Amino acid sequence: MPQVSTCEIQAHMEVAPDHYRLVLHAPEIAQEACAGQFCMLEVQEGLYPFLRRPMCFERIYKDSISILYKVEGEGTRLMSRLSQGQTISVQGPLGKPFPLDSDVERHILVGGGIGIAPFPSLAEAIISELGTTPEVIIAARTESMLLCEDEFRQMGCTVHLATDDGSAGVKAFASEVLRELNPGPKARAYCCGPMPMMRATHDVCQDLGITCLASLEAEMACGDGVCLGCVVEANVEIEAERMVRVCYDGPVFDSSLINWSAY
Amino acid sequence: MANLAVNIGGLKMKNPVTVGSGTFAYGQEYDRYFDISKLGAVTTKSLSLEPRAGNKPPRLVETPAGMLNAIGLQNVGIEAYLRDKAPFLREKGCTIIGNIYGKSPEDYAELAKRLDEAGAADAIEANLSCPNVHDARTARGCTLVAQVPELVQEYTRAIKAATKLPVFVKLTPNIIDIAEPALAAEEAGADGVALINTLLGIGINPETRKPILSNIVGGLSGPAIRPVAVKMVWDCAKVLKIPIIGMGGIGNASDAMQFILAGATGVAVGSCSFRQPDAAIKVVEGLNDYCERHNVENLTQLIGKLE
Ligand SMILES: Cc1cc2nc3c(=O)[nH]c(=O)nc-3n(C[C@H](O)[C@H](O)[C@H](O)COP(=O)(O)OP(=O)(O)OC[C@H]3O[C@@H](n4cnc5c(N)ncnc54)[C@H](O)[C@@H]3O)c2cc1C
Ligand SMILES: Cc1cc2nc3c(=O)[nH]c(=O)nc-3n(C[C@H](O)[C@H](O)[C@H](O)COP(=O)(O)O)c2cc1C
Ligand code: FES
Repeated sequence: MPQVSTCEIQAHMEVAPDHYRLVLHAPEIAQEACAGQFCMLEVQEGLYPFLRRPMCFERIYKDSISILYKVEGEGTRLMSRLSQGQTISVQGPLGKPFPLDSDVERHILVGGGIGIAPFPSLAEAIISELGTTPEVIIAARTESMLLCEDEFRQMGCTVHLATDDGSAGVKAFASEVLRELNPGPKARAYCCGPMPMMRATHDVCQDLGITCLASLEAEMACGDGVCLGCVVEANVEIEAERMVRVCYDGPVFDSSLINWSAY
Repeated sequence: MANLAVNIGGLKMKNPVTVGSGTFAYGQEYDRYFDISKLGAVTTKSLSLEPRAGNKPPRLVETPAGMLNAIGLQNVGIEAYLRDKAPFLREKGCTIIGNIYGKSPEDYAELAKRLDEAGAADAIEANLSCPNVHDARTARGCTLVAQVPELVQEYTRAIKAATKLPVFVKLTPNIIDIAEPALAAEEAGADGVALINTLLGIGINPETRKPILSNIVGGLSGPAIRPVAVKMVWDCAKVLKIPIIGMGGIGNASDAMQFILAGATGVAVGSCSFRQPDAAIKVVEGLNDYCERHNVENLTQLIGKLE
């Protein structure tokens, strides 16, 4: 069950230009949270900003959670000013987690920019629940924006780097790096990042005939299935609906269920 | 405990607090945060005869102290509501206000009749004021039913003829004098009016020079619209005999008290639930505290008692 709780900030640090890690003491939420789910953070008390901000779980510890975020606009700019010891209201866990399937032989996580955020917790879950170690493709605009490389290496993951400007790793899109890995039929891709990047990853997976689980983004008001503000169009009906809620039916979807023509 | 019970045009509620249609879905989600049967009533998302897919995304824009939405009345349709949603609300023991939306007086009558016959609502709220759907607009072009008093009468009569349940008419603030359609609804036999629906607005992204919403225009809700809503309740209360359900930016009991003092018998919590999922029940608790603090035995004593 999701809940709303006031959580103390245990640590808050800049990890790359305009990118921060926020560690929150949230025992009840941490206990229930699974990789792929997210929470809604109340940036500050009062009416500005009016809505909570959706953020996924970078790591899920015993009593705490960590959030990895990028300063995008007003809300995240205000968030970046919070300091250790202050509290913040957290609603969660929300949404459906990444499904873990033991028939899959090769798990490849594909993160674009801040889209890497849900993958440390997913890598951890794959290692602890399925007993295999995933491979990770970290893609970003430039070297300084490559996130979580050390974390993944510490977990024993093979890491592939890609940048748009070639400043680190290969100069290629994440989706092309995935193709080059020759995933094979028993592989599964997990992707998160900007919509065009996820669409390209979806296309590559279609070519390769493998399943791609995409963690989608949408503007959200309630974050919990109520307002119907966050929908994307599906190719099929999910629980009798064509317009499916990213917050409640997702955020993780089998990419073949999504109508990508809009992106 | 103070007595918070109200009777809104024949609908008995244990307290005056309900929720804004479309901000609470069909109750299941928020029941995970608090016992929704403790609310005076649950108001459903607008129900139509057929399921509706709604508008294309993006559907939301955040604004100062509020938000614009252009959902476009996505809903499961009356059949799925009766089959999948109403039983949950009934099992919980909720009082249900069934909000309906159609394209003609006949649609509304049919929807009211089906809710009544199935015992799936205790009152009907006719949404004659959704700004986000184009097919609701009348022959005069871009007009909403709730903007034309004669149409309000025609629709209200059709619904009243189809059901014995109390009928509330939901009005739009996008009008010069909201008392006109309110009086028209009263004359046509409505048992109450609900106001306000959202105010029209546009959000533009200066970088792309494009509108943010796919529908271009959306409806503004939240605390930003509260003073407008309170004033419109006050305008209506001065001339109406039938009760009013007031809404627009209610997030706590003192917000709700503004509406009650201005003349509302019921109050609805809308967008503020998105921020605080248990906001509606907090309003109930806060109204009780208010009464105790002010030595008020029956909250109804304060309806319209602006000094
Ligand atoms: C399920 C989910 C998980 C997410 N997880 C993360 C994460 O782990 N780390 C991270 O950095 N970001 C994440 N995001 C994106 C993050 O929510 C936005 O970057 C953030 O809301 C921007 O807020 P702002 O006030 O800084 O930006 P503004 O542009 O000022 O925000 C204005 C409005 O638009 C919304 N908005 C703006 N950009 C986005 C976006 N990309 N996605 C959704 N809503 C947006 C805001 O919530 C707000 O309501 C996630 C989004 C979703 C839907
Ligand atoms: C996301 C959203 C969806 C809504 N959907 C409906 C609807 O289906 N039918 C309706 O009559 N009003 C609908 N409304 C209007 C609300 O019920 C309410 O009248 C309005 O939002 C003002 O109240 P608030 O400021 O407390 O949100 C919707 C409002 C929002 C924000
Ligand atoms: S954000 Fe409200 S339904 Fe998804």
